[in-house]
Amino acid sequence: MARMNTYQAQLSILLSCYLDGVLTDEELNEVVHVLDNDLEAIAEFHKLKEARRAVRLMPMLEIPSHLLPRTHLDEELSAFLDGELSTQETPIVSAHLESCGECRMVLADLDRSRIAIRALPGVESPVFLDVHRETTTATRRRIPAVVALATGVAAVVIAFTVGPFASGGEQPTISIADLNARHAAVASVPAAVQISNTAP
Amino acid sequence: MTRLGRSVLVGTTFAVAFGVLTPAVTAGELEDIITQAREATYNATRVTKSVWGNQIEVTDQLVEHWSGGELVRTNSSWTVSGNGRLVSMGEVPSGLVFLTAKTTPEIQRYEVGSVTTVKHMHRSALRVEVMEGDLKRATLIVDERSGAVLLAETFNGQGRVFRTVSLSDFKPYRMYPEPEEMSSVPVQVIMHSDSDLLPNELAGYQIVDVFQGPGGSEQSFYSDGLFGFSVFAISKRTVIDGFADSMALVTDDGLYEMVPTAQDVRIRWADKDRNFVLVGDIPPDHLEEILADLPAPGRDSMLKIWWHKLFG
Repeated sequence: MARMNTYQAQLSILLSCYLDGVLTDEELNEVVHVLDNDLEAIAEFHKLKEARRAVRLMPMLEIPSHLLPRTHLDEELSAFLDGELSTQETPIVSAHLESCGECRMVLADLDRSRIAIRALPGVESPVFLDVHRETTTATRRRIPAVVALATGVAAVVIAFTVGPFASGGEQPTISIADLNARHAAVASVPAAVQISNTAP
Repeated sequence: MTRLGRSVLVGTTFAVAFGVLTPAVTAGELEDIITQAREATYNATRVTKSVWGNQIEVTDQLVEHWSGGELVRTNSSWTVSGNGRLVSMGEVPSGLVFLTAKTTPEIQRYEVGSVTTVKHMHRSALRVEVMEGDLKRATLIVDERSGAVLLAETFNGQGRVFRTVSLSDFKPYRMYPEPEEMSSVPVQVIMHSDSDLLPNELAGYQIVDVFQGPGGSEQSFYSDGLFGFSVFAISKRTVIDGFADSMALVTDDGLYEMVPTAQDVRIRWADKDRNFVLVGDIPPDHLEEILADLPAPGRDSMLKIWWHKLFG
């Protein structure tokens, strides 16, 4: 009986180490063999996985405010969006974001403004307008006001009519591969599991 | 012991005595089966085959699967996905992290029809029929010990198989270390959006969450617990790449551009205000119902329909 308990205890440790990914090759072979042949080991394995899953399902605990940074985040938010935070910084920033509505709003605004900036079409004046501008500058003092006004109106009309076609090549592009990746990422959220800050 | 564990045990005992375990397995057990499959640890070659009309799409991948995530390797690149993240190491390394606390809805429209014990790849397995009312929607061959789905067949509205996903060279409990370069891939954090542009329910699928998309677009993700799809609402100005070799899908509502792949289907259309793209692993009959509930293609597309009908 004592031997059995020792075996079960060892098995439990091995399975736990297996789930943590810290087994040696030899130990891994042993665990794989046991898991594929021993029903009791499989039951124990599922029990351990269930326990870990339950931990993941626990609501995230509120971090006591005195342990949180007193000041709001600034540059860290930008780095967070860019994925430039270090492994040590990421959980600190995430924890602060969970408890600080103000920083969450700043982060959302920052993200929206970036998207908006990225969505802006690149506006470059057509070449013929550049030539016209140079000509205008060179002869400015010699052109009567009425002609200048007419030229301005004509330029505005041309800009509105030709502009959309001239900037046709500047249209933003989205690839279906990107959209597909986004769908795959969202679809990988399992039922009843909150997204954590750990790697997948 | 988990509910799947119990049903496996009951199923095994019952099956030994009577050969077949019949009904009385609820949608809850189906969720357990799906959860166990998501949690299963193995590596294998996964072959996916889909039939869209006369077109057959096949792909095979080397897959390492673990609790809630998987690594798919191709020649010189890999993709890791799971828990709302996707990190790719291809020509341009990229990563996405979706910030959401919302979860897929409970399975309501499916239930388990029958469960039988079978041998598959010399392994003890359960053959589980998934019913949608009177229609057999899927058959799953589930490895008894690891919980992995060894074979999944999905049926269309006429009861014919339209997708098969099978594992071969199956090695349960075998895992390899994650790629070392993974931590250096920059990730983009995707935030929740408060938009309510699209309805909360589409043809039996519930909206799970809405996210800001690329170029000011937005992504609405829907699921029925078994299948899922995303609808992207995109500015009319934006060009959408990837539909050059699309085929035409004509429904009562209009003409759509469709790119079927082995794993999913991609649909593009536009109404008078926006472009729309739908991406998902949904069966063809569900797809038609979903499209009927979404904004229909604009009038210019009707001209294309007539052109398509007249000249093919």
